Amino acid sequence: MAQASSVRSVSDLDTVVDSDVHLTERQSDIIPYIEEPFDEMLTRSKGEDYGYLSNLYPTPGFLTPVTTGKVQSDTVRSADDVRRGMEMLDTDRVVLTPTQNLYLSCVHHDDLAAALASAYNEYFLDTYVDPDDGLYGPIIVAPQKPHRAAEEIDDHADEDGIIAAFIPSGGVHPPLGDSQYDPIYEAAESAGLPVMMHNAAGTMMKNFPQQFNGLNRYLSAHVPSHAMQHMVNLASMITQGVPVKYPDLEFVIQEAGIGWIPYFAKRFDAEYSGKREDAPMLEQSPSEYLDDQFYFTSQPLEGSDDPAYVEHMIRLFGGGENLMFSSDYPHLDFDHSDELLGMLRGKFSDEEIANVYGETALSVYDF
Amino acid sequence: MASANSPDATRHHVVSTDELESTDRVIAEIQGREIAVFDVDGEYYAVANYCVHQGGPACEGLLSGTVSMSDEMELTYDREDEIVACPWHGWEFDVKTGKHLARSNYALPTYDVVVEDGEIYVEL
Repeated sequence: MAQASSVRSVSDLDTVVDSDVHLTERQSDIIPYIEEPFDEMLTRSKGEDYGYLSNLYPTPGFLTPVTTGKVQSDTVRSADDVRRGMEMLDTDRVVLTPTQNLYLSCVHHDDLAAALASAYNEYFLDTYVDPDDGLYGPIIVAPQKPHRAAEEIDDHADEDGIIAAFIPSGGVHPPLGDSQYDPIYEAAESAGLPVMMHNAAGTMMKNFPQQFNGLNRYLSAHVPSHAMQHMVNLASMITQGVPVKYPDLEFVIQEAGIGWIPYFAKRFDAEYSGKREDAPMLEQSPSEYLDDQFYFTSQPLEGSDDPAYVEHMIRLFGGGENLMFSSDYPHLDFDHSDELLGMLRGKFSDEEIANVYGETALSVYDF
Repeated sequence: MASANSPDATRHHVVSTDELESTDRVIAEIQGREIAVFDVDGEYYAVANYCVHQGGPACEGLLSGTVSMSDEMELTYDREDEIVACPWHGWEFDVKTGKHLARSNYALPTYDVVVEDGEIYVEL
């Protein structure tokens, strides 16, 4: 269904919202904001830390193209750094997400994890948020302490520039359908904020430790990691009825590309047909909940050497209504804003393209 | 130096061999295109500084060797200074041929190089 499109580049669009731009924050950036008792505990260390004991976030130790110098990523540790990225990608609004704190759910000490989330949020509000310039972002929460997470959402939901609640969903255990997380969903729903879920490749070291140990390479870990962790959490959430319990809550599922979405939806429906007793709360099929309450960000767009593949996948999950452009700038697999557009032009209507590049985001996030 | 010397091609001066020897590459703008000239052991190669993947400045990245597997199934490192990696996503290209190392259907455009009296010219 080829259609004449007047959209030649992102500059032809009224609004371009980038649903995933990462800070490259350091632990040392947020420690100055941490509250007691950790402020005292974390500022008096002297002597040798043996090379790792100061690191509160576990690292997977991947040998990556960044490690070897083959990728030279930009730094994003100030609002001006963000603006430079926006200029490069020609975007109007960005949803700013963490990098180091993608590993927040892997922090070993649960109260410390909650304190780090609070500290990050203060640092974030202090350093980046600027609605006049299009700089927005979520409150992040530590799922290790759901009640603290809910308080964090309550405390910050009304602040300018806060448009969502963010669960670093990689490494989370048990998976996110467990009722222990209900306070988070309840708080987000009553605050009118969508819940963003974002994994990191290395967070599989916590929730898939045997697979992580057996893979031995960054490539073989990175290929399955993002979609795999999302599928486990979404299978848990939908089976346990999270979208039924919180019908006004919307979810933004990030950074796993596109092809797994129709596969997961079709497989879920097929399985549900014979196993309904495992999900008695559901009032409609799993794919209908995915259609109604779940949104997906585009990067990393697989198959850009095969435009027919990209078109079919996006059509199969109704992407004209629930796909949102994201760049993932400045990470090593970021997508330039033109990449997806080149796939959509001539195949999707101007309205659908406008949705993917901003209109859907304007309706989902609490701008 | 290989040179198809198409009758329509125009020579564009880029740099002297002496100057290029003191650095690892020179990137020049020629007819609106950014073109990098590399010196690999006294042989010169011209490659487009525009990544076929997403348009990154491919020839501004790390110039290095790359990892291979020996017949004995051990990791080795070779082709030192022959491989440039696009700084955006790390795609590796052979500066002698422009070819992408991972998937051979991708390649950076290459250009003919002529050396005369110690001066390096690119033809296009």
